[in-house]
Amino acid sequence: MKAPAEGTLRGIGTFLATFGIGVATYIAIADSGGGSPVCIAGGHGCQTVAESSYSHLAGINIAIFGIGGYVVLLACALLRGDAFRLTGFVVSLIGFGYSLYLTYLELFTIDAICQWCVASAVLMTLLFVSNAVRMLAYVGTEP
Amino acid sequence: MSGRRDREARREEGLQEEQRAGAAERRQRMVKLASAGAFLALVVVAVLIVVSSGNSGGGDSGNIVEAKEVDQLLAGIPQKGMVLGDPSAKVTVLEFGDLQCPFCKGYSEEVLPQVIESRVRGGEAKLDFRNYTIIGPQSKPAGAAAIAAGEQGRGWNFVELFYRNQGTEDSGYADDEFLTAIAKAAGVPNISKWNRARQSQAAIGRVEATSAEAQELGFSGTPSFALEGPGTKGVEAIETPESVDALESAIENAGG
Repeated sequence: MKAPAEGTLRGIGTFLATFGIGVATYIAIADSGGGSPVCIAGGHGCQTVAESSYSHLAGINIAIFGIGGYVVLLACALLRGDAFRLTGFVVSLIGFGYSLYLTYLELFTIDAICQWCVASAVLMTLLFVSNAVRMLAYVGTEP
Repeated sequence: MSGRRDREARREEGLQEEQRAGAAERRQRMVKLASAGAFLALVVVAVLIVVSSGNSGGGDSGNIVEAKEVDQLLAGIPQKGMVLGDPSAKVTVLEFGDLQCPFCKGYSEEVLPQVIESRVRGGEAKLDFRNYTIIGPQSKPAGAAAIAAGEQGRGWNFVELFYRNQGTEDSGYADDEFLTAIAKAAGVPNISKWNRARQSQAAIGRVEATSAEAQELGFSGTPSFALEGPGTKGVEAIETPESVDALESAIENAGG
């Protein structure tokens, strides 16, 4: 199967990473005010997940790390060349792996689903797929 | 002429061959680098998971810690039910918390001790702990157990000690064994009576009632606070003051 043009993959990456920055920023702002994100579909899932000890890593809300990750992925999508193809792949793999773990925690440990966290996990999964395709199809070729 | 053209064509072909070989080599090198990057990414994820799992801890009924510290913190301060402090104190600080909530634990360890010393011990304010159960199914029986401890004058010892020994929320640690260990370490004098009281509909009903009250006040998380005093119009929600100074200042304002 022929891979999409690199420009298309970079466009998808730009869109997804921008969306991800928005989602992670909302979660971080909601947490910084001492509250929690509001689940649009209702219920206490977002609140329960935000109250969970797993919502922080070394005392820092993981949404802050998320913002950092999405910003790096946005930069990788906007810039050309192998360095950014590789960095995008590695960072999105980290984000994807950790999102999988967080989703597992939501389902089996915290017993609550936060739709904002699910949205972020879906975005990170799509970013991983687009960055992996970009890396496999175009790494080592001319920018 | 023809020989010269052939030589140029062969040279051109050679150059193209060299470029193709160079590109293939470069791509191979990059794929190797990507494999190393993927390995590094998986190591980073594993480290993150280990660090994240380390957030848990506590919740061990066989190892209840800091009972002495809690005793010292609360020594000499009157307790009635879930109210800590002089019953005639002009300001009442209502704390809506979930015993399984890690933020409540943090607040209980970092903010409340100073406020207890500065405002409660001197009789300016009293603290009223009310359950707002949001974490999981064990939050309600834990809250009822605190209320039952309060009936024997050890409610705040129970709450403070629970927080200091809190495990990972809703991981199943807050079972009968854990609650009993906390009650004993908190100095509840009659454990049989406490056992009956914590399982009573009255205690469970109170947990449900204060949870409903928290929702009526518009709280979306724990710990959340409300104040009642001469300077307030009835019970006023103040959400979660982020520091000792913020809570103390709110108490001062509520004092009129």
